[in-house]
Amino acid sequence: MKVSLNWLRDYVPLTASPEEIARAITFLGFEVEGIHSTGAPRLDHVVVGEILTRARHPNADKLSVCTVDVGPAGGVKTIVCGAANCDAGHRVLVALPGAVLPGNFAIKASKIRGQASEGMMCSPDELGLPGDHAGLLLLPDRPALGLPIQEALPGGDTILDLEITPNRPDCQCHLGIARELAAWFRLPLTYPQERFRGDVSAAPQRPDLLAGVEVRSPEDCPYYSAHVVAGIKVGPSPAWLQDRLRAVGLRPINNVVDVTNYVMLETGQPLHAFDARRLEGRRIIVRPAAEGERLVTLDGKERALDARTLVIADAARAVVVAGVMGGQDSGVVADTTDLVLECAVFRRQTVRAASRRLGLSTDSSYRYERGVDPHAAPEAAWRALDLILETAGGAVAGPAFQVGGDVPWSREIVVTHDYITERLGFDVPAAEMRAAFEALELRVTREEETVQPARGPAWTVAIPSWRDDLDRPIDLVEEVLRLHGTERIPPATVVAPGLAAEDDPVVRFNRQATDYLVGHDFHECVNYTLRPARELAAWASAAELPRLALANPFVDDQTHLRSSLIGGLLDSLRLNQARGVPVARLAETGRVFLEREGQVLECVAAAFVIAESSGERSWLRREAADFFTARHHAVALAGLAGLRVGELLPAAAPGWQPGHAALATDLRRGCWIGAGLVDLALTRSLGIEGRVQAGFVALLPELLPARAGVRRFQDFSLFPAALRDLALIVPEATPAGEVSTRVGHAARQAAGASFNFEGASVFDVYRGPGLPDGHKSLAFSLVFRGKDRTLTDEEVNTAFQRLQEDALAGTSWQVRR
Amino acid sequence: MQAQLQAVLAKAAAELPAVHLRPDLEAAKARYVGPNGEFTALMKQMGAVPKEERPAVGKLINEAKGRLQVLLDEALARIAAAELSAQLGPSIDPSLPSPDPGPGTRHPLTLVREEMCRILRKVGFSVADGPEVESEYYCFDALNTPADHPARDEKDTFYLPSDARFGNVSKKDPAERYLLRTHTSSVQIRTMLRGEPPIRIVSPGRVYRRDTTDATHSANFHQLECLYVDRNVTVRDLKALLDHIFAALLGKDTRTRFRPHYFGYTEPSFEVDLAATHLPRVNKPWIEIGGCGMVDPTVFAAVGYDPERWTGYAFGMGLERLAMLLYGIDDIRYFYQNDARFLRQFS
Repeated sequence: MKVSLNWLRDYVPLTASPEEIARAITFLGFEVEGIHSTGAPRLDHVVVGEILTRARHPNADKLSVCTVDVGPAGGVKTIVCGAANCDAGHRVLVALPGAVLPGNFAIKASKIRGQASEGMMCSPDELGLPGDHAGLLLLPDRPALGLPIQEALPGGDTILDLEITPNRPDCQCHLGIARELAAWFRLPLTYPQERFRGDVSAAPQRPDLLAGVEVRSPEDCPYYSAHVVAGIKVGPSPAWLQDRLRAVGLRPINNVVDVTNYVMLETGQPLHAFDARRLEGRRIIVRPAAEGERLVTLDGKERALDARTLVIADAARAVVVAGVMGGQDSGVVADTTDLVLECAVFRRQTVRAASRRLGLSTDSSYRYERGVDPHAAPEAAWRALDLILETAGGAVAGPAFQVGGDVPWSREIVVTHDYITERLGFDVPAAEMRAAFEALELRVTREEETVQPARGPAWTVAIPSWRDDLDRPIDLVEEVLRLHGTERIPPATVVAPGLAAEDDPVVRFNRQATDYLVGHDFHECVNYTLRPARELAAWASAAELPRLALANPFVDDQTHLRSSLIGGLLDSLRLNQARGVPVARLAETGRVFLEREGQVLECVAAAFVIAESSGERSWLRREAADFFTARHHAVALAGLAGLRVGELLPAAAPGWQPGHAALATDLRRGCWIGAGLVDLALTRSLGIEGRVQAGFVALLPELLPARAGVRRFQDFSLFPAALRDLALIVPEATPAGEVSTRVGHAARQAAGASFNFEGASVFDVYRGPGLPDGHKSLAFSLVFRGKDRTLTDEEVNTAFQRLQEDALAGTSWQVRR
Repeated sequence: MQAQLQAVLAKAAAELPAVHLRPDLEAAKARYVGPNGEFTALMKQMGAVPKEERPAVGKLINEAKGRLQVLLDEALARIAAAELSAQLGPSIDPSLPSPDPGPGTRHPLTLVREEMCRILRKVGFSVADGPEVESEYYCFDALNTPADHPARDEKDTFYLPSDARFGNVSKKDPAERYLLRTHTSSVQIRTMLRGEPPIRIVSPGRVYRRDTTDATHSANFHQLECLYVDRNVTVRDLKALLDHIFAALLGKDTRTRFRPHYFGYTEPSFEVDLAATHLPRVNKPWIEIGGCGMVDPTVFAAVGYDPERWTGYAFGMGLERLAMLLYGIDDIRYFYQNDARFLRQFS
């Protein structure tokens, strides 16, 4: 919202500089988004002078030599001038040596065609002012000699562009801001004085101009008044009114429209004027629009309305979108002689909804959406009538047609000095607090001493109708602090009793996962949570996809919640490859959304991708990462989440290359883990070069342990191990894990209670000559150890023999010798 | 005798350094000190030496034997070293680059977040977390946001379809809609609903606004919010906290100021400006960094705290904005592109 300082000075005698005023507004709680000055620029050494004599330049026909008195600024100067109007007796603006005019034009004492000249008399153009540049700027008001330019020229103004917070609809106008500034600078506030404040009860109403007002949805329109003014003459507004409107960016239209705009900018109350003869049936009806009803608004656009939109209508049709914009053919025009002035209050939500639906935001809708003070509306109407009579003549025809608006206003808040001090944490004298209230027109109706141990008074504060935002004692704390100045909050040290609790398990998991991944040479990435459907389709089933869709996406490539972090990481990989940036390992932690059995679960996740090649050629080749690299990291990440992962099963899920990836989904407990080769068709379609291994873990946040379980030390034997190798020929389809489990079980049985079996590890997988078709050989290294002695060959051999028999029993497996 | 010894030694000294293979050395050794070796033969002549000369000759032989052994040892050491170096390959060139990837890097948003959390932990805050999909109650209602507030508009906030079911995000009322949280303040509500004051948490996290993505806006971004609820928490305490965290993060030269503002969930409310002209690309005396205020009594009432007993403050800011300020980054989109040239700059 733009405010003019000159305009504000109508109500409050501000003497501070524009910068000080802008600062005051800032600390009153309104952001100053822009500040610019109009009128005379501040130019040093440019002062008022009077031309004493004028003579022709001896060496130039078109030049004159003048003597100019600049009074206290330097006495009489001789100045050569080229203007035609440099006649003796004029007061003009003189740029003395040292002045720098717009365009970085420095004035020096010099000789012009042999004639000394001690400065320059200025045209408007040379001063950066609008106007005729052919001649000198003459000052018919004859300001004092030597007066600086900015004091000599009228019309200067400063315009501030303010952002008004939604809690302060009362400040959506000049009077509101003036009230705040009056409080800040402790200056008196003068309300506009009306010349005409008619008692119009005796004046006859004019049913021939307006016969009635009907409000059909009072909940949308709690107050509506219509005054009739007869016998007006529409024409241009007086200059002062036009200047005011232009200063804050409005285009003057005619005296009536300008007055309604002026009063809105002054009081915050939007107003509308109809041409009485253009109201069909001489009626005003406030009603919901008929479905599909059409109205051409003032901006020339035809609007299709619906039943949720409130309109002002005459007997035949809608003429105004209530609170938003008037229609094209009901307003005041050049030959209007009788007008109807609407002053109404509409429900905020009604106006907001209409404005949104029509995509039409106006000065009026902006104010209605945030709320106007219903109790001040009649005042605004009178102010407008006064200015209409002043600028357009005419007479008010009888009392207004008025519907609603008769709810009385009364609100008091009781607050104590103690309460405010306790909330602030520092002392503000009671007298200052009370003064702050009163400066803001929050009248203290009662002051009482409080009872010990409280100190200071208790105040009963009457809240004016325009301060609907003040409702509780805490609201008054803010008022005291605003006027005291937030810059004066005294510094302090942070008092921190030992309250730190444990960080949330999710936070700890993310931190540990990031540490792990970064420690394993991954670049941590951050990708958008919202992904395009086409990306998600690669990772989610057709049934899952719709469950992850937003109701109101904004752009096409951000329509769904991500179900996997890998999609984003592949995107990042592609971007780096496309930019020629070598990178192989990318990782991310964050939320993913998994659809299970019709429900979406918000999960904690960590994931990574490893490109087979970073894209960088190297003098030394490393073995490429494979499934086992990816699984290793995925299992480690799951371990950080406190999950002990059993076996991963070959993946049959979208996104993964069949036969080269594996997953473990533990539905009941709510954790998912996977690793392996990303579907080659997918990487190829993404334009990624080379193969990509990936892995992830995702789990319900509630599964993360609140704290790590207590670990107990387990004693171990210091005696030497006894090793035995066992190679088994098994069918190709039999997983090593199954064989290992069976061998381990048999080994434990065979060792019995007398010694320990410590584990079997696969050290060879063989396929080829010497084996039956469709079979492979798995070789295990078995470790046995005694708790309290060195084992003898004999006892180990016995156990080894027995475990082979047990492991093979009931299988087609054979020992490979 | 002496001449013979000298001759054998000279021969060995000439021959042994040229031996390069272990079997050749063994053969040479046998030729000198083996049972039929030349030196062995000379030693056998000792028996023929007259008794009175024996000590002197014995001494000569011993000396010669010692010198021969040295020659053999040297040859052996040289061969062993040559064998080892053949095994190890040529010596490394330490100026060659490592073919391994890395080192890994933390994302700048992680770095800034963790630094803030570290600073806040030291003054008693613990790090809290909550769902990114929220219900209208936790995101708006409990935070004193009126039903018709523009922030709730579908124009500004992402919603999930009305039939969306989230298995692990609780709703207050079955009829309310799910949405993507617009601030992490919902974590404050969930934390307060879970337990009694005193509470001192910091909640960093991802938030969502239905915004056009450009150099300073992003449809998802990260916030960090602090909440402190206790007895007698004051505006002055709030200012002290902000002074502390920004001085700790950005240096002692950093100052903060409060400008009165309006938020539905705090009263009084302030916007926080930073004076940090020592940072790169900071060309304004004051930069807006976040919002804060004293927790509105309505919010306490919503979570069942007695507003007469408890007071508190809340503070929130954007992490991207802070990271941009700290590192002098001028486009928010860099955070989400993950160009490795960007990521490598901060760790």
